[in-house]
Amino acid sequence: MIFHELYSTYYNVVSEILTEAVRGELSGERIRKIVEEKAYLESGLSIPKALEEREWPLLRENYTTPIEHVPTMPLTEVQKQWMKAICQDPRIRLFDPPIQELKDTEPLFEAGFFACFDRCSDGDPYEDRLYREHFRLVLLALKERRGLRLRCRGKRCRLYIPERLEYSAKDDKFRLIAHSPKGTPYVIRMSGICQLSLSEKLAEEETGSRAEKETVVLELSDERNTLERAMIHFSDLEKETVKLDDTHYRIALRYRKDDETEILIRVLSFGPKLRVSSPESFVRRLRGRLNMQKRFQGFGS
Amino acid sequence: MAYSELIKNFEKIRSYMRDFYVYGFRSRGDFEQKSARSYDNERRRIESWLGDSMSFRQDASGKRVFISVDQREVPHNPLYRALKAKSFTDRDITLHFYILDVLADGGKLPLRDIVNRVLACCQEIAEEEFLPDDSTIRNKLKEYAALGILKAEKRGKELLYYRNDAPWDREGWRDAAAFASEVMPLGLIASQLLDKMPESADYFGFKHHYLLNAMDSEVLEGILLCRKEKKNALLTFSTRKSKAGMHQALVYPLKVYISAQNGRENLLAYSFCEKRPCMYRLDRIHSVRAADAQPDSEKLDYAGERFSEHLWGTSAGSGRGRRLQKLTMNIHVEKEEYFVIDRLKREKRQGELVRIDENTWQFTIDVYDAQEMLPWIRTFTGRIESLVCTDPEVVKRFYGDLQEMDLLYGGEDSDFS
Repeated sequence: MIFHELYSTYYNVVSEILTEAVRGELSGERIRKIVEEKAYLESGLSIPKALEEREWPLLRENYTTPIEHVPTMPLTEVQKQWMKAICQDPRIRLFDPPIQELKDTEPLFEAGFFACFDRCSDGDPYEDRLYREHFRLVLLALKERRGLRLRCRGKRCRLYIPERLEYSAKDDKFRLIAHSPKGTPYVIRMSGICQLSLSEKLAEEETGSRAEKETVVLELSDERNTLERAMIHFSDLEKETVKLDDTHYRIALRYRKDDETEILIRVLSFGPKLRVSSPESFVRRLRGRLNMQKRFQGFGS
Repeated sequence: MAYSELIKNFEKIRSYMRDFYVYGFRSRGDFEQKSARSYDNERRRIESWLGDSMSFRQDASGKRVFISVDQREVPHNPLYRALKAKSFTDRDITLHFYILDVLADGGKLPLRDIVNRVLACCQEIAEEEFLPDDSTIRNKLKEYAALGILKAEKRGKELLYYRNDAPWDREGWRDAAAFASEVMPLGLIASQLLDKMPESADYFGFKHHYLLNAMDSEVLEGILLCRKEKKNALLTFSTRKSKAGMHQALVYPLKVYISAQNGRENLLAYSFCEKRPCMYRLDRIHSVRAADAQPDSEKLDYAGERFSEHLWGTSAGSGRGRRLQKLTMNIHVEKEEYFVIDRLKREKRQGELVRIDENTWQFTIDVYDAQEMLPWIRTFTGRIESLVCTDPEVVKRFYGDLQEMDLLYGGEDSDFS
């Protein structure tokens, strides 16, 4: 029963409102503020009314409550079983979550029940002692907003300002997104780090860099279920689709400039059912790949 | 009935969410199977839940609604918000907070005491007709015991209820939950845990991040519970060809296949009707019901393991025969193009890769459905010296597509065959 009101936004928001009521800090204005910040766009029409008009008799007129304790809720069985199950995954163990309280819980699924069949086979070494130590330090730097002195294979040791830790499910790799003190952006493979230490605390105003984005426009011909396949395949990217006629569509995809080769490969995988109409530089690269293939004409028939 | 942003049944809105997210080019008039009012209500709900993640475009034929986000910039799946909009009654929410409060001291109380204390709280504020009777409170206690947040213990003739409060180190789980919510199956649960934490970890990013699986959380939960209890499952599902028509199948869940390259999830399950392992797309399963029968799980698991040895992705080809197809591809690699070999090695799955001369690497594989490999094969366009397959259609389609592409991009010499 994962779709249950116990886990709902409404219950969470009311719990927060009652917390303030128990502490004697609640007012009508606070109710509206909490709802605006934590609930849905239109919840302001329902939650304050239900509480103030006693449809949910939890608050007195003066915004106090008969409830005596700050509301909390124990974990449900399925939550505990799921937590136990994910701890079997070496990626989760990188975070070292406390599992003592789950010792009597059966996992919701076995370690091998999920198979990711198209993931790259050279994923990060999650069980490696040095990798785990580097991972711990990078997390600490991100939490405490500290710089990192690190050295990658074949490079010299430098100071980086960490922005975030990015995981790719396809590559099965973590990458540290960072920049130099002068603002030059870097993407550093976690598995390529061979030396790492924490540096000083950063000034609050340090902010991340924005990735440069490009747009590729594709014309799609909906044969062999291409529309559904392409829409799902590219759903990780910002996109806008326009229907041109019953079987033709135009898709504008926004991608990061440094991902262009990967996007090219992804477009190629759809064959002639997906045609790049712009930019010209992208079309040229595709044409180049097709011309390269002509070296081998006469083979394969 | 008056409009509410909460819903009783998630299945109803699942297809709208999927349509706005995956396609995003349809307007109100395109939703032929639904009434206009139903469309307006569901769209309004989704807008309310997702806020800034929704986009609109107005053109001559109407307003188009779509969900479009660069998922590398999304540290938390916004679609989970839809799964936290379950409706409830006024009594449900009232009893929830009073029951957990009267038991918050850690005491074990009989039904009578709980009823008296809850009523004392309610009476102070609620109208007489609102007050719940004993059986309503008893049912709520039973429901919470089944969910695991309360425990019941027999003392003499009486049943005592108490909170199942185990210490839970929220801070210790913060990073793991933030990561798991986006990466692990049923990440919705991590998102629920994060809701109980004052601050979430915002320093994670996710590439190749697919959000749509969130919509299938209830279905996946049903499958996992059947598997855990070693029970068969009765699936109600549709197929691409059947459109609105529904099918049913009694199956035993063996494995869930997840694609890291499009996020799609497929259930591999032993079908008792087909008498063999079959694949079912999770986004086409509408409901999962546990059946009582206890299958011979070891035997069925073994059948599943054997079957999966020759899958490239999730297709077992057409027909019942499931004969293996052999595919061989020779790839030309120049001296400096070591990255091509690296890519072949990490993406070849169960295929074999051998170097046959200085510039040629040979990839060989036996699969049920070599057609399914074509998208991957095309990514090596420019380097494919030869392609041979026991299914001649595969080779024909590959070179036919190349020719078509060459025409599309204005090539002068279109002879690829």
